[in-house]
Amino acid sequence: MSSSDTDPAPAGSPEVSPKVSQVVEHFFRHESGRLHGALTRMLGPGNLALVEDVTQGALLRAMRTWSIGGIPPNPSAWITQVAMNLARDTLRHRKMAHGKEANVTLHFEQTLSASPRPDSDDHEIRDDALRLMFVCCHPSQPADAQVVLALKVLCGFSTGEIARAFLSTEAAIEKQLTRTKQRIREANIGFELPQGEELAVRLDGVLAALYLLFNEGYKASSGDRLLREELCQEAVRLLSLLVTHPAGNTPRSHALLALMLLTAARFPSRLDEHGALLRLDDQDRSRWNQALIQRGLMELVEAAQGDDVGEYHLQAGIAACHCTAADFESTDWSRILRHYDELLRLKPSPVIALNRAVAVANLHGPQAGLQAIASIEQRSRLDTHYLLHAVVGELHRRMNNHRAAAESFRLALRHAQVGPEQLYLSRMLDRSLDPSESLGNSA
Amino acid sequence: MTPPRLPFLLLFRESSPELYRPLSARQRQQLLERWTAWYDGLAALGKVHHGHPLEPEGRIVSGPRGERVAEGNLADSGESIAGYFLLTVADLDEATRIAQECPTLDYGMRVEVRAISDCCHLAHSLTPHPAAESLSA
Repeated sequence: MSSSDTDPAPAGSPEVSPKVSQVVEHFFRHESGRLHGALTRMLGPGNLALVEDVTQGALLRAMRTWSIGGIPPNPSAWITQVAMNLARDTLRHRKMAHGKEANVTLHFEQTLSASPRPDSDDHEIRDDALRLMFVCCHPSQPADAQVVLALKVLCGFSTGEIARAFLSTEAAIEKQLTRTKQRIREANIGFELPQGEELAVRLDGVLAALYLLFNEGYKASSGDRLLREELCQEAVRLLSLLVTHPAGNTPRSHALLALMLLTAARFPSRLDEHGALLRLDDQDRSRWNQALIQRGLMELVEAAQGDDVGEYHLQAGIAACHCTAADFESTDWSRILRHYDELLRLKPSPVIALNRAVAVANLHGPQAGLQAIASIEQRSRLDTHYLLHAVVGELHRRMNNHRAAAESFRLALRHAQVGPEQLYLSRMLDRSLDPSESLGNSA
Repeated sequence: MTPPRLPFLLLFRESSPELYRPLSARQRQQLLERWTAWYDGLAALGKVHHGHPLEPEGRIVSGPRGERVAEGNLADSGESIAGYFLLTVADLDEATRIAQECPTLDYGMRVEVRAISDCCHLAHSLTPHPAAESLSA
């Protein structure tokens, strides 16, 4: 919608103006991530707050100008130029006001003159993002703080969105971010990729944070579904970026990416039309995303290079068994059980043991499943988890113990917190209270 | 009988770019999409001649001899103009209806609707044709 000195085009052939569709989806999200990366390289991780201010300023300026004037042919270059000018002005102001930060200013000016267009190279964008990932996921930060900071600076989420995704308040998220940035400044974290032995350890930290990010999104919730799916997409996007870099290109990274893709592929069929959680055997497999499954299986091949068989490998292997089974009945439960056995050995946890019990039940029958549950170590830790009771209820239902099933589903319902799970459990409770079976129970 | 086509300015007044701060990335994207659709719709109907944003930096000249030149970011002042559309429409009511469709009204923007006078008294003798004629195709 920029100016035209000619007359307006006649009706029916609208004036050709730069279309928003030229701007890729999620432009503002990803542009803010890109600017944060470039500016952190120039200003240092200790100046993350300034980096964020400058980025916000540039994005707001773009909103003001582009709304009325339309989107320029190269929006990234436009916004970068504005950001660099803003950064320079801000630094000059500060220098005048406080007589400090001369080093930062000098470094900034030097970097700027060396590379006046920091957005020009895809590799540089990726590398900036990668370094920023390592800053966000620095071991000096608690795990949840890592994810929140990554969402803010790498994924362009607002504090309001993060608060909604984490069922927290904006003020609490704001406070946490301020503390995190302060710790980064105090720890004097650099913007270089870790080297040598440190790299493997630090990479594990980055993978763990991305896994957590994905899981946050994956949790079924009555909250903002769109937002949660975006968390998963962001985890996949960042990890896809990571594996293209030599520092991140490890079997373990590919295994995690495979796990994410094979899980995300089944998103569309997880809920029914009423928003209730659907069990695997009730899902419409034709709605699974075959393109994602293919990508996931290819990543799994990459993951198999080398001897590393870790947690992500096993979980991805299990997801692959589900994705490649034509229907529920033909699922390779013995393979899945072997994966769970190994997973339990690597990482003993009652939740994994419960999942293993489901595999046991599907392979050897509900009675065997109940026995496997009975022998879970530290099972009491699951007592307040709806899933334990839901699984027990389902196994009782399969054995036609409707009274016991109903009891378990009631217990599960009491501990379920989110809508889709509650809807599913109420339905199961209703089924086990079928009048022909349980006249005595329904009272 | 074609309706008269008269020039009007829509002046987009706003407090500052801060207007957009509370918006999430998704909302920002959607707002830009609505602006584009709005403008393209008007252009397709031949109702907007052109539109421009104004750069926030500028100068204000004042003083009897123009000796006072204030410099700075004018967008920070509450009454700054973010940009304008030049419309060619039938009358003030139509221009007003168009202004009421401005997507950023939701977020506190104000739109000033002003008729462009067909001629100023000085130029009257110089230009026989009203400015409007050259604008409306």
